Amino acid sequence: MTNNPELDVLVIGTGAGGAPLLARLAAAGLRVLALEAGVRHRPAEMPTDEVAQAGLFWMDERLSAGKDPVGFGRNNSGRGVGGSTLHYTAYTPRAQPDDFELLKEFGQGVDWPLSYADLEPYYDEVEQFLGVSGPSEYPWGPPRQRPYPHPALPLNGAALLMEQAAQQSGIRTSAAANAALSRPQEQEGYGLRPACSNRGFCQAGCSTGAKASLDVTYLALAEARGATIWEGAQVTKLLMKGGRVSGAEFVRGGKTQTLHARQVVLAAGAIETPRLLLLSGVGNSSEQVGRNFMAHVGVQVWGLVDDDLRPYKGIPGGLISEDFHRIPGLVGGYLLQSLGVMPVTYATQYARGTGKWGAALSEHLSQYNHVAGINVLGECLPYAGNFLELSSELDERGLPKPLIHFSFGENEHRMAKHAETVMRDLWAKIGAREVWALPRAAHTIGTARMGHDPSSNVVDAFGRSHDTPGLWICDNSTFPSSLSVNPGLTQMALSLRTADALIAELKA
Amino acid sequence: MSAQERAAVIAALNGPAVTAPTRATLLERLDARYERQFLSETEFARLRAVAVRLVPHDPAEMDLSGLIDQRLHQNLSDGWRYADTPADGPAYQGLLAALPSNFETLSGDEQDAAIHELQASQPHPFEDLLAELTEGFMAHPLTQYRFGYAGFMDAPGWPRVGPNELEAREIAYGESGNDQ
Ligand SMILES: Cc1cc2nc3c(=O)[nH]c(=O)nc-3n(C[C@H](O)[C@H](O)[C@H](O)COP(=O)(O)OP(=O)(O)OC[C@H]3O[C@@H](n4cnc5c(N)ncnc54)[C@H](O)[C@@H]3O)c2cc1C
Ligand code: SF4
Repeated sequence: MTNNPELDVLVIGTGAGGAPLLARLAAAGLRVLALEAGVRHRPAEMPTDEVAQAGLFWMDERLSAGKDPVGFGRNNSGRGVGGSTLHYTAYTPRAQPDDFELLKEFGQGVDWPLSYADLEPYYDEVEQFLGVSGPSEYPWGPPRQRPYPHPALPLNGAALLMEQAAQQSGIRTSAAANAALSRPQEQEGYGLRPACSNRGFCQAGCSTGAKASLDVTYLALAEARGATIWEGAQVTKLLMKGGRVSGAEFVRGGKTQTLHARQVVLAAGAIETPRLLLLSGVGNSSEQVGRNFMAHVGVQVWGLVDDDLRPYKGIPGGLISEDFHRIPGLVGGYLLQSLGVMPVTYATQYARGTGKWGAALSEHLSQYNHVAGINVLGECLPYAGNFLELSSELDERGLPKPLIHFSFGENEHRMAKHAETVMRDLWAKIGAREVWALPRAAHTIGTARMGHDPSSNVVDAFGRSHDTPGLWICDNSTFPSSLSVNPGLTQMALSLRTADALIAELKA
Repeated sequence: MSAQERAAVIAALNGPAVTAPTRATLLERLDARYERQFLSETEFARLRAVAVRLVPHDPAEMDLSGLIDQRLHQNLSDGWRYADTPADGPAYQGLLAALPSNFETLSGDEQDAAIHELQASQPHPFEDLLAELTEGFMAHPLTQYRFGYAGFMDAPGWPRVGPNELEAREIAYGESGNDQ
């Protein structure tokens, strides 16, 4: 497609927010094109090696401030056709109904402008399409309308040990739902996706297509239905015409170009989306762009066991417990999840987390095959002091780098402590040695919040900008609260919902 | 690395259990050596001396300091940095400059004492340097061989993933392996 004045929708970013929507719009017969800063990463070309796979991540420098600075790069952000789903663990729990109503329940945080019931049919659709593998009975949350399409994946060493420890502690567990295939599945627009081979490198990209990253699922479908994806096209500015967002300026192959469309969907993730809005001076009459940045409480507890576990094998997040979804005295709660881990990730986390060096470091790392981990994902409340702004330092394109301020509040500190105690107890039950805890925050959330009131929110319940016609936002930046689960599945459900609203608007 | 270690690593990498992209990556890394380009000669010599104390290794086997110098020269970022810390190049130069001027000639214990002070006085740049050296070390095929890591033998997948359910190629590979 050339510079087409008749484009219906221009989508910026092809991750969990951009991809399902692109497929839906194309299927509705709309002329759609996506600009993606990163390139295509074909499964068969992916080495089983973390360092070589660094290109899957957003490596442009971000500045981290606050009392609990968030690590980005290989921790927290993807780049490429498929976005962060190229390296997600494919862990796909649904949020629970009360997750969307923290304010109502606790008098803190904010409520979502939509309910679980609004998302449920979309959750269901995404799970069926991606081919989620999961348990037949899930102990938490509302009953499902339809079972998961595939049986749960096998539990690896850490998952089995956690199951054993939890049983002794009276904590209920279940095999997790993962968007990775336990049986082969025919994927429309892509072909046959094989069953997971337990290679354990999901976070460095799946080399078989077993994992439902969006390149082998929704984006393949989108292209089969006529959507165009331009890779290596980094948007630097949103363009305005007559008070509307009318397109975008982007750099591709060293050249600056522009594209125009009737509607523009910004789906660049919770850091680049607010950055682009601030750079362009768009959509910010509420002055909320960049505000309310959140990252899940994500403490991990690691230990060494005598068993030969080989933590590189099996889907990394295999076992889950939502028994701590609510904790007396705390706002919200967390889920527990077992952890497999790749060697370099473990080693660098250990170095950063413990500050150990010399013989103590190499001695510990030499026992990598005996490492078992658990982690939590817990609610993070929005705070005025946690925000993204443009720094005075420029990147190589001459644009200000994003500066992100983040500090845990009282609730996050107490939740992290609670979780660490629970996890240390679990690992004590199985006699783990050299147990250590990595304080951590995971996932980038907030910064362009959705809500009914235009004075305190950036977009409405469907992702439509409150103040600037022609602009929609569809990525983790719109989450009003962090939810106490991984964000990917909810994001994809929201993406289909935004697509339906967009189609209705364009066809009106 | 001993001739035997090297032979074992190369045999594994060239074996049928390794996919072509993984093989190419690791074979290249096994012998990677870098010409100093970013740091001054003095800075580089000091980095080498610090590096072997932080992450014990033989620079003749794996060029971890060269790897860092090379990254700084190419101005590659790992995607983020602490806002209170200068860019990686100046930050590392600052770390090296803060060490005693005779650092290279100190005894091991004295070097460690100086490093402890550095860790306390410049925690963020220190953490970054330590993590970067650790990454280079752990990603090296020789370290992986010594630690019995076989995850790169990725072609057939891993049908059994429970504790102690090892495939023959896992049991065989690594310094503790049976038939190396
Ligand atoms: C290591 C890791 C593991 C994770 N595991 C899980 C998990 O198990 N389960 C789960 O639910 N979630 C997981 N997540 C989170 C999940 O991946 C994200 O919630 C989700 O992908 C966010 O979707 P998004 O659309 O907001 O952003 P992304 O998926 O990151 O997509 C944004 C896209 O926009 C592109 N982009 C950015 N700026 C521009 C620009 N200026 N021009 C053009 N393109 C641009 C980026 O390159 C990227 O492709 C994980 C994340 C990480 C980092
Ligand atoms: S564990 Fe399964 S889903 Fe993950 S990378 Fe390996 S084959 Fe792909």
